[in-house]
Amino acid sequence: MSDEWLRLHRRTFLASAVMSMALVVPLVTVLTKVLLDQEVALRLVVAADAGATVLIIIGVVIYDVLRWRATTYRITGERVELRSGIMVREHRSIPRDRVRTVDVTADPVRRVLGLAVVKVGTGERAGDDKAELTLDPVGRADADRLRRTLLHRSPEPDGTPQADATIAELRWAWIRYAPLTVWAFVGGAVLVGVAHRALDIIGVELFSLDALGDLWDRLSVIPGWLLIVLLPAADLLVGTVGAVALFVESWWHYRLDREPSGTLRLRRGLLTTRSLTLTERRLRGVELSRPLLLRWGGGARVKAVATGLSKNDKETERADTLTPPVPLAEALRVAQEISPGEHPALRAHPKAARARRMRWAGFAVVMLAVATAALDAVFAWVPWWAWAVPAAAVPAAAYFAADAYRGLGHGLTGRHLVTRSGTAVRRTVALDRTGIIGWHFRQSVFQRRAGLATLVATTAAGHGSYTVHDAAEAAAVDLADLAVPGLVAPFRASGDRDGFVTPG
Amino acid sequence: MDLRPPRNRADRRAVTWWTVQGLIGAAVAAVAVGVPYVLFTDRPLWLAAVAAGFVAALLALALVWPRAYYRLSRWEVTDEAVYTCSGWLFRSWRIAPMSRIQTVDTVRGPLQRLFGLSDVTVTTASSAGAIKIEGLDHALAAGLAERLTEITQRTPGDAT
Repeated sequence: MSDEWLRLHRRTFLASAVMSMALVVPLVTVLTKVLLDQEVALRLVVAADAGATVLIIIGVVIYDVLRWRATTYRITGERVELRSGIMVREHRSIPRDRVRTVDVTADPVRRVLGLAVVKVGTGERAGDDKAELTLDPVGRADADRLRRTLLHRSPEPDGTPQADATIAELRWAWIRYAPLTVWAFVGGAVLVGVAHRALDIIGVELFSLDALGDLWDRLSVIPGWLLIVLLPAADLLVGTVGAVALFVESWWHYRLDREPSGTLRLRRGLLTTRSLTLTERRLRGVELSRPLLLRWGGGARVKAVATGLSKNDKETERADTLTPPVPLAEALRVAQEISPGEHPALRAHPKAARARRMRWAGFAVVMLAVATAALDAVFAWVPWWAWAVPAAAVPAAAYFAADAYRGLGHGLTGRHLVTRSGTAVRRTVALDRTGIIGWHFRQSVFQRRAGLATLVATTAAGHGSYTVHDAAEAAAVDLADLAVPGLVAPFRASGDRDGFVTPG
Repeated sequence: MDLRPPRNRADRRAVTWWTVQGLIGAAVAAVAVGVPYVLFTDRPLWLAAVAAGFVAALLALALVWPRAYYRLSRWEVTDEAVYTCSGWLFRSWRIAPMSRIQTVDTVRGPLQRLFGLSDVTVTTASSAGAIKIEGLDHALAAGLAERLTEITQRTPGDAT
């Protein structure tokens, strides 16, 4: 590749002019509202609006021109370099063999203009965003060329397939899992809340509008019990439609490929298209994530345990998510494709772990009862049926405690350390044994009495650590000893047992 | 737990260091409690008793805790790994293999310098926390850091 310094795409000026509308529309709305309230003549209002619009667009474009002039990048044989900064000049340089991911995103405006934003990730943990080089924007063809150049590896000698192998593709039947999120249940209410706030800012009171007042009058004719049914139903409808729309926007054209150069490529998106490429050498395992509602619906998502995926991603989907919500069998198949290994039989944890969870549940119920009693004593306005809350909490807490215990499990295969836990989100993580870079055993005084211990495997990838909660004391030490041979053995009280023990 | 305690303890002087630290904290708390008591209250006896009890508890903690902590915190460095253990209510054992260590730092606060002590912090590529060995003799800590750095540099790759 050439060593010359390159610039970002010129059409960025046009893109920022269009996107400055996001600034123009609310400002002009507020301005109009203020001026009309002052009873300024309509002509003057229009003139002021036009002036403000032009000023904002010019300001934004000038800033973008300055940014464009200040930014150059180049790719040499060894390094990726980026010079940027209008006031504070910055020169960043990444060795090419440190490049782990290339993320190509095109929102609707940039897409129409044939542009895309390229993020080059290194997986370094020094600083939060400094580990990433962002090229905002380059032409679509340039983006694809960058992606190929930066992550190209010569194919492995052991017969890696030469064509792209598709691991998964969108099936529309999966859309049935889209509403199985909390947002489907509170989405409608949240939407009304946000709309109310937004209109409030420009001085429109949502609930005092005549139309809504009329609606309210009509609603009050309906008997109360029907409203109690209808309002949540409407909320659910709006939330479901929203969740389905989000699914379509996020996962349209979803496709997960394994490329011959030893990379995984994920493509998705209806309006904003997104392509994430990551080198398989950076994979340290795979995670099956099952939030409660999705789990009840029989679905799961697959996530990558990889170094170099940004943590605080503001996208609708986190960067490490490899599939939309899919049926469990499909999730298992994709996980197997991504990180092949035997399917482990997970060991259940001792009954003492179940007793611990039951005690936590009991404690939560008691606290709830104490809070109700305190309210009752202090304010004396708590109706008798408020006691239904702690009463109803008893079976719920017991159910979740039992469910949390059932979720606990761990196993060891030739390649992976597998651990499963969680109720609100049940996670099953298969972590490469070679990716484990340290152990941390923990034992509270309560765990000690129950003969339990918690084992944490630290790793450079994903969350940074994966935990086996409340295993039997001996099983935790055996597991660590077997998973990384030779590391724990010298520190065992019973001496080096040369791996004769099996996990218990 | 089927884990033997690591071989070494902190330097004996660390107990004095932690005690002095605790006494300073107790003194600050005594002033923070005493000054408002004299200035802003009617100086009732019961409040004086509560305040005195609080300061006395801090003093006792400053005297007892460092000794307990000294007995419970242990460390060991072999050719293969760094191994530490600490805590009593919440016990914790950490093991980091030598081949995965990325950086080794020694840190000395002003008080520590007075006592000739250092902390050694061993970091791996994981974000899940470094291993810290507290209150070592400074010369020992410097030597240890040097040895660790030398061993880890011999390992190829980026330790991820």
